[in-house]
Amino acid sequence: MSEPTVITMLINGAPATIEVEPRTSLADLIREELGLTGTHLGCEHGVCGACTILVDGEPVRSCLMLGVQADGKNITTIEGLADPISGEMHPIQKGMHEAHGFQCSFCAPGFLMSAVALLEDNPNPTRDQIREELGGNVCRCTGYKTILDGVEAAVSIKSGDNTSSTNLAAEVDR
Amino acid sequence: MRLVGQSVKRVEDDRLLRGTGRYVADVNPPGVLHAVFVRSTFAHARIVSIDAAAAGRSPGVVRIYTGAEINAMSYPMLPMLMLPDLYTPLVKALSDDKVRMVGDPVAVVLANSRAEAEDAAELVEVEYDPLDAVPDIATGLRSDSAQLWEKADGNVLYDHADTFGEVDAVFASADRVITERFSSHRQSNQPIETRGTVIEVDPVTGHLTVHGATQTSHMLRWGIAAYAGKRRIRESLKSLATKKERRAAFLTAAKKFTTDNADALKQSDNAGAAHQIKRDKSTLLHMNRMGLELLGQEDFPTVVAQDIGGGFGAKGAVAREDIALATAAIDLGRSVKWIEDRIENLTDGGHAREEDIEISIAVDDDGTMRGMKVDLVIDHGAYPAWPIGASLASAIMKVMFPGAYRFEAFSMRSRLVATNKGKYVAYRGPWANETWARERIIDVVARELRMSPAEIRLKNMYGPEDMPAAMLTGPTLDETMSTRATLERAIELIDRDELASLKADAEANGRRLGLGLACYHEAAPGPPNYNDAISPGSGALSNETARTVVESDGSIIAYTSQMPHGQSHETTYAQVVADEMGVGIDDVKLVWGNTDKTPFSALGTGGSRGGPLGGGAIKYASREVRRLVAEKAASMLEASVDDIEIVDGNIHVAGVPSRGLTYGEVAGAVATLDGEAFSHNQDYRGKGDGGWSCATHVCMVDIDLETGTVQIPRYFVVEDCGPIINPAIVDGQVRGGVAQGIGAVLYESAVFDTEANPQTTTYMDYLMPSATEIPEIEVHHLETLSPGGENDFRGVGEGGMIGAPAAITNAIEHALAPLGAKVTDQYLPPTKILELAGIIDPDRSSGSS
Repeated sequence: MSEPTVITMLINGAPATIEVEPRTSLADLIREELGLTGTHLGCEHGVCGACTILVDGEPVRSCLMLGVQADGKNITTIEGLADPISGEMHPIQKGMHEAHGFQCSFCAPGFLMSAVALLEDNPNPTRDQIREELGGNVCRCTGYKTILDGVEAAVSIKSGDNTSSTNLAAEVDR
Repeated sequence: MRLVGQSVKRVEDDRLLRGTGRYVADVNPPGVLHAVFVRSTFAHARIVSIDAAAAGRSPGVVRIYTGAEINAMSYPMLPMLMLPDLYTPLVKALSDDKVRMVGDPVAVVLANSRAEAEDAAELVEVEYDPLDAVPDIATGLRSDSAQLWEKADGNVLYDHADTFGEVDAVFASADRVITERFSSHRQSNQPIETRGTVIEVDPVTGHLTVHGATQTSHMLRWGIAAYAGKRRIRESLKSLATKKERRAAFLTAAKKFTTDNADALKQSDNAGAAHQIKRDKSTLLHMNRMGLELLGQEDFPTVVAQDIGGGFGAKGAVAREDIALATAAIDLGRSVKWIEDRIENLTDGGHAREEDIEISIAVDDDGTMRGMKVDLVIDHGAYPAWPIGASLASAIMKVMFPGAYRFEAFSMRSRLVATNKGKYVAYRGPWANETWARERIIDVVARELRMSPAEIRLKNMYGPEDMPAAMLTGPTLDETMSTRATLERAIELIDRDELASLKADAEANGRRLGLGLACYHEAAPGPPNYNDAISPGSGALSNETARTVVESDGSIIAYTSQMPHGQSHETTYAQVVADEMGVGIDDVKLVWGNTDKTPFSALGTGGSRGGPLGGGAIKYASREVRRLVAEKAASMLEASVDDIEIVDGNIHVAGVPSRGLTYGEVAGAVATLDGEAFSHNQDYRGKGDGGWSCATHVCMVDIDLETGTVQIPRYFVVEDCGPIINPAIVDGQVRGGVAQGIGAVLYESAVFDTEANPQTTTYMDYLMPSATEIPEIEVHHLETLSPGGENDFRGVGEGGMIGAPAAITNAIEHALAPLGAKVTDQYLPPTKILELAGIIDPDRSSGSS
């Protein structure tokens, strides 16, 4: 077994310097060493998407990346979504709340991070584009409709256009 | 404004969407050791030897226990549901003499980190002497197949027949008898969070706190208390004899149990227990020793569970692993943690539904369905799930098979066959294949009689004019069995013109369109005689208790014995309590999952019981506390209790809101020692309330004849679960269930080879549907009120999965019937679709099973 390496990264905006064994996955590093347990492990082989985080803004399966590979990277996890000062939720969190997006929510961290990456690239996705982009994340509870609704609600919240989110709420409230 | 009936946004979201929930994998007591199980690589073999010496020298290893060591310190898991003719093998925490499946745990490694435990587990050398494997039902039924359990009759653990009505006479006098053999494949619950348990040992007192991903916190508590960590019986007896308070407490508890469940106990028949003991005399011995030991224990574990990443039945089982972990933790006096990986979960985290069903319908030429005969064989897997598994599924199927139809006679033979595969557990609507097989053959009958699927169902289905009635199998039917109304509404929602034009378009483009429907009702909670029809006396298992408290500072806390794992109880129960207490949703705090605080329930969350039973208990507990508060307020305000109103937390005399009191003021005026100003415990069995939850599912399929892929352009459900607490949450439950049904038919199959080696142990092989596979399922509601009950919430968790496989397979047969297809398998991946369409030859395509 090779020796631990010291790496430096930006995690949810804060710098971190940490010693990591070469074989430790980034997911384990984040959860066990940094104590950020909001990132979840569903399959540990890169299919379910629950462990998705952002590395330099791109969605990555943290179970398939090694901790040492995060050296010098800018990492964002679910804990980094809300405003660090006010605690106000990110539009994607608000949108999911509005739309009853999740149930058990074990898959939620991955969906949220995938959706954030999607909306960065494409601020006004069509429903089919949302479906396609979130096709790499698995949810066992919801049948997905409310998760797609949640992304659409986030788009409305982000653009300050509350009409469609109100409509959505009205529809959900029927 | 009343909260019940509105899509109130989820209370639990704030924690879960911020990533600050606490799931079992997030729990790390100081100094916790990480457990990894050494598992069998053979499906069936004798264990010759285990050499853990090299593994024990591996870095970070603290202790390795073999099966023999753990089993010497624990009791085997004993059967809970004992049915006449059922033999349930006793299950040891780890296997020590032979293994019966790939993945069978034979040793456990405890190390300072998970990685170190995994490294060491690789070094444990187990020598096996392989035996022939039983990979499927057909092999298991052969008299010359290798036997898994020596005390069983071959590999048949259960062979039982029930008859209702004059079956032979009905079959002899009907115009025709139509018979079909259906086969359902092995599926898996697959919550995205795997199983996991952390046993935290208090270093001073030795008290165990069990952090579990469990649907049933109290069952887990008592399972661990009963089975883990053997003591000397003599010590137990001595402790019991010398401790007067313990003895008195036990006798009081026993008396309360027998009084509370007097009806159930009177009815329970002992034939099941007699059969079990005849097969395995050690059942009685272990039961007595375990019971005596429990009586002598000073301290029982506490189970604590906060957030759980789904279960779908799989986490209703107390795992063998749990017993092994707790035994190791007690022996070492150290905390231990096990988080299952996905390979373990796909191998033995829970399988279900692998069933062969031969079904015959006696029908007259006018479409009157008169009789039904069923021969059911369940692939039980190697080990029985504890406390319930395949035997309960078969018992419920026996009751529900006739469905919403007026049959004159029904008979059913049920067999459970042991195979060298993962255990069969309850999976969302565990009895669902009665609906699948029945609704499938009704379509077959309709086609033979040249009737439409809707027409034959309407002709034979009970309607409101028939109520009250009774199913042939026993349970009472009242107006809440509104399946016919859901079917009538579904028929209105089908656009025939659109369908015809889509169909023509599809056929012109190398595709085929089909429409399928399925109807069912489920007990949610069912009439009072429902549980007795399943197994006399089993009603005792479905009791629920809730407790509502107003603390001295006026805060309102409700305690439930339910164990939420995605169903949003924290929101829906707060809605119910807030309405009863006249406060807002943020004024109510729900406490669950901590067995030191929450009332006892045997089952926890499962069986569509959360709405009617858990919800009913909490509603009536809160109502009583409101009454106590109003009484106190009345005396403080010098008014009559009948004039007290509580609105937005303002407790006042009607018409004088300006002179109101807060909950804090009223509670503060009550002297209390424990900080609880008002409280009430409510036992609740749903007797006289509630009833049936019903639905009709309609599925449209669009099949590409070139690729064999099935698209679902429209899927809708018309459901009737009575008054709804939170429509968005109910819709979510229905859609999630349907999505699992779609996965089951088109994508998911737990495959084993001819040596019983599992072939689908990753998500690359066991295909979980994603957003691109699941259509946007429409949910329509009817709201039939029950004739007697005031608490009319009915459960809705199971239903989506019960209806979906039937609706989808019926649609596929409808689409492909013109090509000569007959759908008898539930699993229909593209290769199978192309075979059904006659495009590829089943005899020449391999590996499609």
